[in-house]
Amino acid sequence: MPVRLWRKPLDAEKIKVPKAEIHIIKDRCKGCGFCIEFCPKEVLETSDEFNQKGVHPPKVKDENMCALCGFCEAVCPDFAIFAIEKDCKGGC
Amino acid sequence: MTSAQEPEETATQPSRPTPDDEVRIGVYVCHCGLNIAGTVNCEEVAHFAAALPNVVISKDNRYTCSDQGQELIKNDIQEHKLNRVVVASCSPRLHEATFRNACEEAGLNRYLFEMANIREHCSWVHLHEKEKATEKAKDLVRMAVAKATLLQPQIENEVPIARKALIIGGGVAGIQAALDLADTGYHVYLVEKDPSIGGRMAQIDKTFPTMDCSICILAPKMSDAGRHPNIELLTNSEVQDVQGYIGNFKVKVLKKPRYVTEECTACGDCVPACPVTAPNEFDVGLVTRRAIYTPLAQAVPSTYIIDKSICLNKDNIITCDKCIKACERGAIDFEMKPKTVELDVGTIIVATGADVYDPASLAQYGYTRYPNVITSLEFERLINAGGPSGGRLIRPSDLQVPDTVAFVQCVGSRSERSGHLYCSNVCCMNTIKDSLLIKEHWPDTQIYVFYVDIRAYGKGFEELYKRARNAGVVFIRGLPAEIIEEKKTNDLWLLGENTLEKQLYKVNVDMVILSVGIEPKQDSEVIQRLFNLSKTSDGFFMEAHPKLRPVDTPTGGVFLAGCAEAPKDIKDSVTQASAAAARAGILMAKGKVTVEAVTPKLIEQNCQSCGLCARVCPYNAILVDKELKTTEVIEAACAGCGTCGAECPFDALVMRHFTDNQIYAQIDAATERDADKKIVAFCCNWCSYAGADFAGVSRTQYPTSVRIIRTMCSGRVAPKFVEHAFARGAAAVLVAGCHLGDCHYINANHQTKRRVEKLWKKLERLGLNKDRLQLAWISAAEGEKFASTIKEMQNIVETVTREELENTKKLLREN
Repeated sequence: MPVRLWRKPLDAEKIKVPKAEIHIIKDRCKGCGFCIEFCPKEVLETSDEFNQKGVHPPKVKDENMCALCGFCEAVCPDFAIFAIEKDCKGGC
Repeated sequence: MTSAQEPEETATQPSRPTPDDEVRIGVYVCHCGLNIAGTVNCEEVAHFAAALPNVVISKDNRYTCSDQGQELIKNDIQEHKLNRVVVASCSPRLHEATFRNACEEAGLNRYLFEMANIREHCSWVHLHEKEKATEKAKDLVRMAVAKATLLQPQIENEVPIARKALIIGGGVAGIQAALDLADTGYHVYLVEKDPSIGGRMAQIDKTFPTMDCSICILAPKMSDAGRHPNIELLTNSEVQDVQGYIGNFKVKVLKKPRYVTEECTACGDCVPACPVTAPNEFDVGLVTRRAIYTPLAQAVPSTYIIDKSICLNKDNIITCDKCIKACERGAIDFEMKPKTVELDVGTIIVATGADVYDPASLAQYGYTRYPNVITSLEFERLINAGGPSGGRLIRPSDLQVPDTVAFVQCVGSRSERSGHLYCSNVCCMNTIKDSLLIKEHWPDTQIYVFYVDIRAYGKGFEELYKRARNAGVVFIRGLPAEIIEEKKTNDLWLLGENTLEKQLYKVNVDMVILSVGIEPKQDSEVIQRLFNLSKTSDGFFMEAHPKLRPVDTPTGGVFLAGCAEAPKDIKDSVTQASAAAARAGILMAKGKVTVEAVTPKLIEQNCQSCGLCARVCPYNAILVDKELKTTEVIEAACAGCGTCGAECPFDALVMRHFTDNQIYAQIDAATERDADKKIVAFCCNWCSYAGADFAGVSRTQYPTSVRIIRTMCSGRVAPKFVEHAFARGAAAVLVAGCHLGDCHYINANHQTKRRVEKLWKKLERLGLNKDRLQLAWISAAEGEKFASTIKEMQNIVETVTREELENTKKLLREN
């Protein structure tokens, strides 16, 4: 058997991966679904609520999964979503 | 059935004297001092031979292999215009080449020589039956003369060898072999599956017995290999397909994309930008890496690589461009595609290395359940200054330096029940080295080593063992039966028996290191299939000969180096790599190779292009196009086992030097007198014939009834030969070959098995006693087995009735 990687890496706590804060401006959304479709970490999903335009805006499944790639922001035709890095100085 | 005297169709090119001339055979019966003459009446045999058809002169002398003996043959060839020579002496495996050369020096083609083995197969194994032995010697000479009459001159084919080498595996063995060949002046392709060369040695902290820093001595070699003008590195690449044969291999290598171009300066600016992480394989998962990474600081090539399996960018959509933005030199290119390159090489060295045993299946040791039970490979990374803890030996549960440490030896080795039967060769010394490393940094650490035997067999090994004992390492004989964890502290208890003191022990330690064994690469079957290699029962690749051709494989032009062949340490891997490079270099320096003329000759008018031969060929050396009705024998790829000739139903393949007619002639000669008292044995050259030789060397006595016919492989034995022997009235027939899996022609003896099983069915169908046909797997070391097989068969010979023999003759002639 090749070496099996089962152990949690010893530096798992220390390694710094930026945490995200995702902002959705719900009423701008026209429900195209691009952000949900293209998110590489599948962080987003359709919500049940309606916005002013009568569509279902996206909602965040798990913010911790976001890798802050910023693709949702780039792909959104309505400038309705953006992610910024969380300030973790005081701990997240 | 063709009569034995009919001329053959196998002649290639005429030599002097021409084969059409009358056959003039000279027979030389050797006394071999008293080795033969002590049992066999050689004069009588020589006298007998003189009366055989086509024999012009027959002589006996004391040592035929001596210079005088050879001179005698040479003079007689000239004087008596001999065009065939038969020497009745020892095994052809010993002196065939000697006499062939003598014949050649006298202007006779070397294939017009035949040997009768009256020493190993006669005088030595029938020491107390002088008369019967003499009769047997006469039979053996008669058989040799019968074959010699039909011998034809053969021209050995020359195959050109491309002066380029392929090395598979970039571990220390592959690197060494590549450097040796490249320094000699040959172009070398070094293919490595991982992103960097270096292999296992790069992971190890120090080497035994000198305690050199492993990467410090390896890294210069790695960069030498990377820079060498004659070495082309193909990392992150895999061999996909191999076609061709010795000297002319066509290899397809898949180059997987790195997504980082050679513009990369290995500055590492991209790494902190990358948002995705995974455990680093190089550090056995003890530390995290990003999707863009380099496995180790000294990586060659030093270009970074993107692990596409975790990278956010999938299906050609760039969702995350953080590394692209971070890279000043613009070295990141997500457009890269996998590329297949075709290489033409003359020789190949397989240095694919080994895996380490996964001890999780040994539940008693608790690996993967107890965090502080680690493997020796994990230990190497932990004690390494470049490793996850910066060289501070820490235990995984609380990251503290342990005060007491236990090593458990033979984990996955030397056990039939758990892991592998073989000794993994390196673990004892590795543990001794590791224990000294701990003592060096933390002298107060209490160290226990639980072992079965300490095998400190190499140069400087015993001294290192002594050093460890003097340093206070406690060696306890007896592996722990169980390891128990204390839940609160994660400390460990080892329970077992000290077999030297006959006392039970219960030892408390902070950390346990399992000294895991080495096992064959999980994907070694892919390489095995690609190169037609054989494996030992352990699963490592088999060498052509364990003593005298230890780096060759049965496939011409393919060599072995490093742990792919068997577990071995760095020194042995390097030694073997240099040996493999030298062996490959010999071929390439010559630029050509001659192939023994035992390959098949295609009789085109007989061939129906049915493809049966191609199906049984272990070397894919026969190309059949059923639509175009063409058949082609690739002589250079053929090793001459003859299993195709045995399979062909149309007599379209004539096995040179082992033709059907020659074998029939031998059967006829063997059964000419007293066939009902005889066993006709077909023995393969490499195992069973050699096994019979070994019975002779060991003077293992057995009945005189057996007459051995040598074929290169038991796969050459066509069912019709066996039937012919029975039809001639032979009491019993033995077909003997290498053990299944040990065949010198990869797997040709599986055809033997199939054919014999078919023959058994036929004998049963005809109402005959199928025990009269025996199939035995006898290796070159099993002289005893050969003797006991003949002894058992003697019972059959003695019980078979005259009616049964007559009945057999009749039935087999009809069917």
